[in-house]
Amino acid sequence: MTDPSTDVEAGGWNRMVSARGGIRSTTAHVTGLALLFISLGMLLSAVVEYVDGTNGAALLMAATATAVSGAALWWSTRPGALDHATIFTAVGTTWLVASAFGALPYLFAGTFAVAGRPWAVVLADALFESISGYSCTGSTVFGGHNPIGSQGSGVLLYRQLTQWAGGMGIVVLVVTVLPSLRASGLGLIDAEAPGMGVDRLAPRVKDTATRFWKLYTGLTALIAVGLLAAGMGPFDAIAHALTTASTGGFSTRDASIGHWDSLSVELVLVVAMVLGAANFTLHWRSLASRRIVHFRDHEFRGYLTILGVGTLLVAGMLAIDGMGVGRALRMGVFNVVTLGTSSGFGNATGAGSGGDFVRWTAGPQMILLFLMVFGGCAGSTAGGVKVVRLRVGMSHAYRTLRGFRRPRALFPVRQGARTVPEAIVERIAGFMVVYGMLVVVGTVAVTALGTDLVTAVGGVIGALGNMGPALGDVGPADSFVDGFSTPARMVLAVLMLVGRLEIFPMLLMLVAPYRSLRGAGRSNRP
Amino acid sequence: MFSVLVIVSGLVDLLGSGDDTVPMVTLGVLAGLVSSIGYSRIRAAERVRDADVLGGLTLCLLLLVMMVSAAHLLIGTTGSVVDALTDSTAALTTTALGVLAPDVGDHAGRFLRAGSQWLGGFGGLMVAVAILPFFGAEREFADRSRLRGRRPMTPNRLTAMRNIVYLHGVVSVGTWIGYVLAGLGTFDALMVAMATVSTGGMVDGDPFADPAVQYVAIAGMAVTGTSLVVLWRLVVGRTRGLMRSAELRAYLGLLVLGTALLLLWTGGSGPDGIRRAAFTVTAAVTTTGFPSAPAGIWAAAAPVLLLGLVSIGPMTGSAGGGFQIMRHRALLKVALREMVRQLHPRVVSRVRLGGRVVSEATLSRIVVVQFLVVSVVFATATVVAAMGLDMAAALGVAIHAISTGGPVRALDGSLLDPTDWSAPVRLAILPAMVIGRLSVYPAMVAASSTISAVRHRVRLRRRILSYRGRAG
Repeated sequence: MTDPSTDVEAGGWNRMVSARGGIRSTTAHVTGLALLFISLGMLLSAVVEYVDGTNGAALLMAATATAVSGAALWWSTRPGALDHATIFTAVGTTWLVASAFGALPYLFAGTFAVAGRPWAVVLADALFESISGYSCTGSTVFGGHNPIGSQGSGVLLYRQLTQWAGGMGIVVLVVTVLPSLRASGLGLIDAEAPGMGVDRLAPRVKDTATRFWKLYTGLTALIAVGLLAAGMGPFDAIAHALTTASTGGFSTRDASIGHWDSLSVELVLVVAMVLGAANFTLHWRSLASRRIVHFRDHEFRGYLTILGVGTLLVAGMLAIDGMGVGRALRMGVFNVVTLGTSSGFGNATGAGSGGDFVRWTAGPQMILLFLMVFGGCAGSTAGGVKVVRLRVGMSHAYRTLRGFRRPRALFPVRQGARTVPEAIVERIAGFMVVYGMLVVVGTVAVTALGTDLVTAVGGVIGALGNMGPALGDVGPADSFVDGFSTPARMVLAVLMLVGRLEIFPMLLMLVAPYRSLRGAGRSNRP
Repeated sequence: MFSVLVIVSGLVDLLGSGDDTVPMVTLGVLAGLVSSIGYSRIRAAERVRDADVLGGLTLCLLLLVMMVSAAHLLIGTTGSVVDALTDSTAALTTTALGVLAPDVGDHAGRFLRAGSQWLGGFGGLMVAVAILPFFGAEREFADRSRLRGRRPMTPNRLTAMRNIVYLHGVVSVGTWIGYVLAGLGTFDALMVAMATVSTGGMVDGDPFADPAVQYVAIAGMAVTGTSLVVLWRLVVGRTRGLMRSAELRAYLGLLVLGTALLLLWTGGSGPDGIRRAAFTVTAAVTTTGFPSAPAGIWAAAAPVLLLGLVSIGPMTGSAGGGFQIMRHRALLKVALREMVRQLHPRVVSRVRLGGRVVSEATLSRIVVVQFLVVSVVFATATVVAAMGLDMAAALGVAIHAISTGGPVRALDGSLLDPTDWSAPVRLAILPAMVIGRLSVYPAMVAASSTISAVRHRVRLRRRILSYRGRAG
């Protein structure tokens, strides 16, 4: 990292124009390239729409607008040096702009332009769906009034592709083709990736990013094959593979996975979701060493334990409530895994069916809420607080209590044989404090906008953890239009982005522009 | 303490039928004898660890709960062990989730209930002001400085205890007189005053129907939710700069803002509406939990606002529960510091509260308290939800129990009656009440010490058995 005082972005507008004429701005450069990438997704969807025999003009228009804007940004700028503020600004801005452009296909296709709806609501819904896609949340505004099934295959594929792009990260994708960032690219990946940091898979940052994407693509292909073998059609298999590897949860059907009502499809998805929510570094090491190394990792073992115990508790309670042991186990496994991995698929075949967890008694729902908070492992595509943070938080609490018994003893926080540095412990503690505050503030804001407590808590925790469905009025088969007002949905959309980027980039993204303005003000002084 | 409470309750019964006087006085004398013998026979350890004191506090509270329950059963306030346990825990932890309703003529039962609350509030103050700051937790928050001839409230433990007795006594008597002047009978006023100054909130009947009584209650609760250090400074004349206290301003702001929001979200207006809203909000912020039926149609945000206020709680160093404002401020500053650290990872940044630097150890403990509170809320809510409460009620019950507040409201603002809950639900919320009243640490330290001791015993036994196996 460079000294912030030498950073061109911190130095004011007059220093931003480089000697070669291009404007030096890492933020604009990265954003431009990201737009080019997402325009490819739109283009692919337009092709699918044409092949399918429907009119793909809307998608083509959106792809063109996005590509032109991206190219303009990319060509007119050059990456500058990176300090921490610039990293957060670059990542935060990229996600905001990508989400905004991601809404274009829905707007051009008139997806949410139902008769009688004001344009502001249509715009808000398109933005919500786009942000929910890119942040891999999986909450949707499609529903009974505007069913998913009535959409063309291009729009459906585009919707799935947004989650796939967001799963591994748009910025990680950018870093794979942006050699000029060199080592600073790791900061960008770090700011975007879920967890407490990025393990390098290769000495070069670009190679690390490339390997992550290769792994991700391979996993997606594997899942698609599995779903095909389980009985899904090719389009649905590919579409669901895209949103399973990314632990996103969008489906091409209104009833989500409940549409198939197939045990084999659910089993394939359960395994795939668990893999998607595990640390990708473990997958890489397993492939590289040709041995399964997952079970040596404490976080992964803890994660499986949480899922296992959660499943047993939920299935047990459902069985006690009279569901029948086999069915309770099936519903328990699928819903615990889908929410514990922050995927958010549903296996309800209809409102009030076995998989409709908002109709369950409150006990199993509380366990699902707990799982929604913690999500998957660090270094995965999953959202939530992450298991490693839970483990470190618990160890830290335990050692504090032990400190009362032995006031002079020093108890390190350990993860397996490794001692966790105090700086990391403090960072995790700080993260959890900010996370908790966001949940409280978000809940108050959403209830103030007319939502009841349970739906609001479920919605906020679901949005911040990128889960998908909420609780209360918005279950696995429900639309967010039914449970939240338009302003409340916008609050949730902001929380989705904040949660996807692990809070800080979105909160700190305005720091660098503020510095720029301040620097410009200073440089104009006589 | 217990024996005094029981004997006085027995004597108070002479105001009515006097049926319970003999058993109560006998129980009190017996308890006093046993504790005197125990006190004289059992020697304190030469080296007392922080954990011993905190564990002792927890044990003390648990014993008190058992004995007050036994007293209720003895005089027949209830025949149910679960009801007696629930009510005595609610009273001693000052959580307004009691289940008993003693007859108007049952003076012993009513006094025992109110006295338990008063004792619980007093104990809470002792823990927060005179014990925890001297045993490793949150030392910075104690008022110890003698700079420029100041008279601090807590220069040492004994003086702190004496000052608490003095201040708590004055506030109690003042509130009592206030209620009498507002029109309550002397005995009823005493009962309500004890429930007010302890932030207990368990009263018989509806004494707040009269607006004058409600005004006194609002003032009494507001004073009780104020830090004793602030009251001390008022008493000794150290008023200069008092309003510069960020915590005091936040507390007053919370009361005013909460009242305004509740008015807005319940459609209240006029002096009556403001009074009712102020009463409900003050009862929530101070975690007193006096019941107030909703007037008008409540918006979805209104019960959530009250739930939030209960979990925030009043000032640190007051009799109230909740997470308390000082700790929230500390958390907010930790959050802001974490953001600064994201931008400048090597920066050395100190958190200041009330002009004083807060040590890293204290900050770390506050964060851990938050973690433990959230864990207890989740665990309690899950257990009571599994036992049949709906999700909103389960979350509400858990948050109220750990915050030692009440009453729990449904989503439409109506009050939930704890007597409608099953016995297992009532028992399941008791640990959260105890943990909340003891400001989390003592109960948790006691629990972790017990778990460690059991684990060591088991390990030792296993080793002995394996040694015997090898030897034999």
